[in-house]
Amino acid sequence: MDFLTLQPAEWQALLLTLKVAAAALLVALPLAVVVAYGLARYRFPGHGVVNALVHLPLVLPPVVTGYVLLLAFGRNGPVGSVLRETFGITFAFNWTGAALAAGVMAFPLMVRPIRLSFEAVDPKLEDAARSLGALRLVSFLTVTLPLALPGILGGAILGFAKAMGEFGATITFVSNIPGETRTLALALYTATQSPSGDVAAFRLTIIATIVAFGALIASELLARRLRKRLGGADA
Amino acid sequence: MRLSLIVAAVFVLAQTTVAAAERPLTVFAASSMSEAMGEIGAAFEAESGVAVTFSFAGTGTLARQIEAGAPADVFVSADTQWMDYLIDQGVVLPESETVIASNRIVLAGALDSAPLDLSADVIAARLGDGRLAIADPDTVPAGRYGKAGLTALGLWPEVESRLAPMENVRVALAAAARGDTPLALVYATDAAIEPNVRVLAELPAESHPKIEYPAALTTGANHPQAAAFLNFLTGPEAAKILRSFGFVTHKEE
Repeated sequence: MDFLTLQPAEWQALLLTLKVAAAALLVALPLAVVVAYGLARYRFPGHGVVNALVHLPLVLPPVVTGYVLLLAFGRNGPVGSVLRETFGITFAFNWTGAALAAGVMAFPLMVRPIRLSFEAVDPKLEDAARSLGALRLVSFLTVTLPLALPGILGGAILGFAKAMGEFGATITFVSNIPGETRTLALALYTATQSPSGDVAAFRLTIIATIVAFGALIASELLARRLRKRLGGADA
Repeated sequence: MRLSLIVAAVFVLAQTTVAAAERPLTVFAASSMSEAMGEIGAAFEAESGVAVTFSFAGTGTLARQIEAGAPADVFVSADTQWMDYLIDQGVVLPESETVIASNRIVLAGALDSAPLDLSADVIAARLGDGRLAIADPDTVPAGRYGKAGLTALGLWPEVESRLAPMENVRVALAAAARGDTPLALVYATDAAIEPNVRVLAELPAESHPKIEYPAALTTGANHPQAAAFLNFLTGPEAAKILRSFGFVTHKEE
């Protein structure tokens, strides 16, 4: 076996991990931006509760989060049974469930830096835009969002990395199905449990490390470009 | 300042020596033996006054931990394959190995399920769009026995793409109990312990390798009562407790 070529099981795990993390990011990021903006700009009754709920997956043991997801979204769970009967959507034992688990776990890691970057944007800039006649949404999209972009990017990268590495909630919620829910982390865990799995575990570790490095370098390059652009605008 | 440091150092050292002498008798056992081992441990403590601490998990997880130096005195495996692996690694004493029980593999489901025939069509119909919860066949003995049995019966191709592999047999059992999966492949003893499932079909004993639970002392075992506990495990009182949970023992009284 040529050791630089990936075996089918490894490809499967890698592609599945990227698919799950991308899906998780696609849904969780816009939601995180909205929630972060709400928490940053508005003081409303229940602000503390919302903040606490957002951070719950960060503080709870991942297996507990996975178990809660299982109870809620399982076949007979309150949300799961409605989704199954009305829309035909199942999360349990499906890659979509893995994406849900990854998204839930990554959510607080995204909200924090995005909220901080929104708080760093001077609200007077938004007021100025609105006083010049821009609608609230337009001022958000053309003034606030671009200024907060480095923080949003940081949150997105952090969230993607967490989604790629998610283990406890995933294995508890959607089990360990090759091709469906066996992401790199779960494949590594399986390899470590097998008597002759050390070589496989080592290879998966290398693969996971390379992908993680790639993502971090890409994010660093992107962030640098962004900073140049924004720095240039100020100069 | 220096005096207090010396006092602190002596204190810490004293604690570690005391702790070593007080380290409890530690037994790593396959998760399917959880309740039976609990009772055996209580019986041993009543008889000898020595408390036993258990760690239950999938056999593969425990084996890897012992290989990495986990402080277990006795290891109870759900198959001879993992026990032989540890013997090869030199972390278990081969002369202490004794088989203490056997078991049967069954298909279990929620209480309101009807009994099953072991045929591909019936099982496919019962699974519907759901999955078969099973302990991971690559790493957990229960999954391995189950896969062998289903293969021998010609049912494996039907279920192979519809599995939900779990870390140990008890997680698979819980999935069926909650109704997350219509069926689970578990030991007869697991189905007996779980009030929310019933046995729907039993895999014939000839369809899979003989299920054997070997128990042995680890090479790192340093609790003075470790050998006594292993002796107790292989004795008549433990066998009676095992039988009461549905395990099959060799010494039928």
